[in-house]
Amino acid sequence: MTTTRLRGGRVIDPANGIDAVRDLVLRDGHVGALEPGAPADTEIDATGCIVMAGGIDLHSHIGGGKVNLARLLLPEDHRRGFEPIPRPSDPLQLASCGHCAPGTLATGYRYAEMGYTSVFEPAMVAANARHAHLEMGDVPILDHGAYVMAGNDELFLELLARGAEPERLRDYLGWLVHATKALGVKVVNPAGISAFKFDQRRLDVDEAHTHWGVTPRQVVRSLARAVHELGLAHPLHIHASNLGVAGNIASTLATIEALEGLPGHLTHVQFHCYGKEGPKKFSSAAMALAEAVDAHPNVSIDVGQILFGQTVTASGDTMQQFANAGFASPRKSVFADIECEAGCGVVPFRYREQSYVNALQWVIGLELFLRVKDPWRIVLTTDHPNGAPFTSYPHLIRLLMDKSFRDEQLARLHPDVAAHSALKDMARELSLNEIAIMTRAGPARLLGLRDRGHLGEGAAADVAVYRAQADAEAMFAAPEWVFKDGTAVVRGGRIVATPAGAVHFAEVEFDPGIERTIDAHTERPLGVAKRYSVIGHDELCGCCNGGRLLPSACTGRSV
Amino acid sequence: MTPETPAAVAWTCPFCALLCDEFELAGERLRGSDCPRAHAALAAHGGATGQPSVDGVPADADAALAEAARRLAAWRQPLFGGLGTDVAGARALVRLAQRTGAVCDHADGASLMHGVRALQDRGQYTTTLAELRTRADLVVCVGTDGVSRHPEFFRRAGLLGDEGPARTLVFLGATAAGGLPARITVETVAGTGDGFADLRQLGALAAGARVPGADPGLAALAARLQAARYAVLVWEPARLPAHGALWAEQLNRLVVTLNARTRAASLALGGGDGASAANQVFTWLTGLPLRTRAGAAGLDHDPLRFDGARLVADGAVDGVLWISTFDPARLPPPGLPRIVLGPPAMAARAAGPGCVFLPVATPGLNAPGHLFRTDGIVVVPLVAARDDGLRGVADVVRALEAAL
Repeated sequence: MTTTRLRGGRVIDPANGIDAVRDLVLRDGHVGALEPGAPADTEIDATGCIVMAGGIDLHSHIGGGKVNLARLLLPEDHRRGFEPIPRPSDPLQLASCGHCAPGTLATGYRYAEMGYTSVFEPAMVAANARHAHLEMGDVPILDHGAYVMAGNDELFLELLARGAEPERLRDYLGWLVHATKALGVKVVNPAGISAFKFDQRRLDVDEAHTHWGVTPRQVVRSLARAVHELGLAHPLHIHASNLGVAGNIASTLATIEALEGLPGHLTHVQFHCYGKEGPKKFSSAAMALAEAVDAHPNVSIDVGQILFGQTVTASGDTMQQFANAGFASPRKSVFADIECEAGCGVVPFRYREQSYVNALQWVIGLELFLRVKDPWRIVLTTDHPNGAPFTSYPHLIRLLMDKSFRDEQLARLHPDVAAHSALKDMARELSLNEIAIMTRAGPARLLGLRDRGHLGEGAAADVAVYRAQADAEAMFAAPEWVFKDGTAVVRGGRIVATPAGAVHFAEVEFDPGIERTIDAHTERPLGVAKRYSVIGHDELCGCCNGGRLLPSACTGRSV
Repeated sequence: MTPETPAAVAWTCPFCALLCDEFELAGERLRGSDCPRAHAALAAHGGATGQPSVDGVPADADAALAEAARRLAAWRQPLFGGLGTDVAGARALVRLAQRTGAVCDHADGASLMHGVRALQDRGQYTTTLAELRTRADLVVCVGTDGVSRHPEFFRRAGLLGDEGPARTLVFLGATAAGGLPARITVETVAGTGDGFADLRQLGALAAGARVPGADPGLAALAARLQAARYAVLVWEPARLPAHGALWAEQLNRLVVTLNARTRAASLALGGGDGASAANQVFTWLTGLPLRTRAGAAGLDHDPLRFDGARLVADGAVDGVLWISTFDPARLPPPGLPRIVLGPPAMAARAAGPGCVFLPVATPGLNAPGHLFRTDGIVVVPLVAARDDGLRGVADVVRALEAAL
């Protein structure tokens, strides 16, 4: 039995309603208890520190085919001019580099150094599921999991077009989650990725897929229902139609309506929150979206904030990525049509302060953070790497917590945006408690991770200890201590241990008779004997370098 | 069950990048396919019982491993070559390369880098086997007959048999393969004899440019590509000459041009023998693909400078760790001190002065594993068809690292 006592820190634990100076005891990998006078194996002075649960990122592209294509596309991201990036001085770290497309090792090190302990890959392609798990398994320290993509696979669209019973769709989705060891289900541009393979270049929420005749509204509604019926903790994760298109607030609001009250998580909403007002026919619709989120308790969002500088956009949305490939910087891009079920598009991009559109995107994201009333339903993300690399989170947190700093940044932007945005009049500064909700307690609740994201007794001892200081960016960039399941992994900004992370996945119940339908749709279209064989527990464990398996049992629900 | 009639087991063939999973293996006999490549590979692995050896002298496994580690540690600039292994083996090699400052290149590094360099410079638009099978109404094999090195390709592409959509198969600058059913329209476009120039001309024609003196065959093909609903351009990196990256870039540009008005994508046939797996693994762990040196100054990637064959020819490396689990005939470059991880069937060929030989299992034959399919997206699980009691590459490499 090993015990650690963090003495005298300000514990901020919104899930348990705690914001107080107190001791925190870590015992055998969990938050535990000790008699006040009893000695702990390790006593740590945390006075002057903020103690929070480890950070949880529920939407970050950290592993899988498109992420590796981004790395391959950008060797310049992995060198400094003509010189190699120096090896880490820390002997525990292997050489691994990249700013917007980091290697998996660098991904684990950099997240842990910021106090994050769990990160979820939001776009796992079923045919590429093993690859995603292998890559996530090679992200050291962090727990991980993934949402499998659905709603563009020809089999699902065919079932939907033929008017299959909702139970059939539920069983099919259940099989998909089971086979790929997913934690959740994501839909990207509902039916649009498939439509693009049929040369359809746009697909609005009530527009019909040129071949299957189904609409994005039907896809969203039926997937949300299936996810709900399977009992998955995380609502359907939705990358809505018309990403990046001026005026797309209409399709985003229509997507919310398509849920018909069922739970749904709209992701990287900054990219889906544009009006058509003003001289450039491009405006903020943050007010309209925030009001819709406030009015729909079934809806949660993450923001996908953009920050200025070089990054790379990596998405399953071939339709919209291809439409934007002309803006690539540097001018190159990678696309794939994938196995009758998905696609991917990787387009490097540099967000510029002097670009009207980019400046407005920056403003829209911040407006969303500051307008949405319920912090439990809005998650802090940059949609790494699409809006910005995850390493910019501390900067983003300072923008949200510090009005004068935000105003300084705003003044540097395109003058029309700086002068006319509603942001300049928004006085709200998020509190540490609200930041803790948006970066750990909220995402844990949205993912159904009962023992993560809080510091109540029995919770996993994933803990970040930050030195309290006026500059929130400096504070969140370099915690004094980070613990993963009770083991110190970061101390004074240096990695001190690199355990293998665990993998979260859902265990769902479904009628296995669906496999007959799946098999009947396998040999002819796919040309393989079995539609990707199911990933078993042993194989998953091997993929994840021996990391622990953390299944969450799901109980079916009715609508 | 007698030895003459061993039980047939479902099998995924690891011996080319198609990774076919519809056949069975009965002992060492393949059932369900007459694929010459699979038959030859199974025969090449058959019946051998190679032992560890040091300088040609049989050695105890532990002693051979210790000697290998001692030599590896003494080399000033090692080359990790061959890299014919699976994901697990490549994962272990990344770590060992960083410990030893090695340069890593695959035996097919030259053809692998054609695609990588074209991707790094301009990008690409690719497709997968199932998309080709269900969607493509026009398939163009550019500079390849498609099946010489990947004998099951047409079957996997849905071009054989009586079912499936009618479609056109064009061979550009290559000899047409035979054996295709009547429902497939087969055409050959000879081109000008210069594959690179043909692709340029085809690109210009497809973009609608006026090309004086255009080759009539290419002009007709350009029109066909523009009219197709979903065209797939199939190519084979191993058939390209030096500077094949420029050729690949032309092909990628042609696809971009076509996608402005209709749909098209490319599909490369290659990446077998673990090349794709090793490249993917090195890229995801470190951020950089193969032909990278894990030097004291950091990771240094250069598709030209870190060409393994060239480093050997220049005397720039003083020892080779060679891994070839799929092909027992694929040997390290002669003349250099070497540590060889290969299947037992390689022992007699590889062992000799200057060589430490360590027998290892072959993923998909006598070990499980994972490989990337030719489209670079689908990761196929391999199962062990039998147990020969051999250690896997990952296991041996980790032991080497521990013994350094």
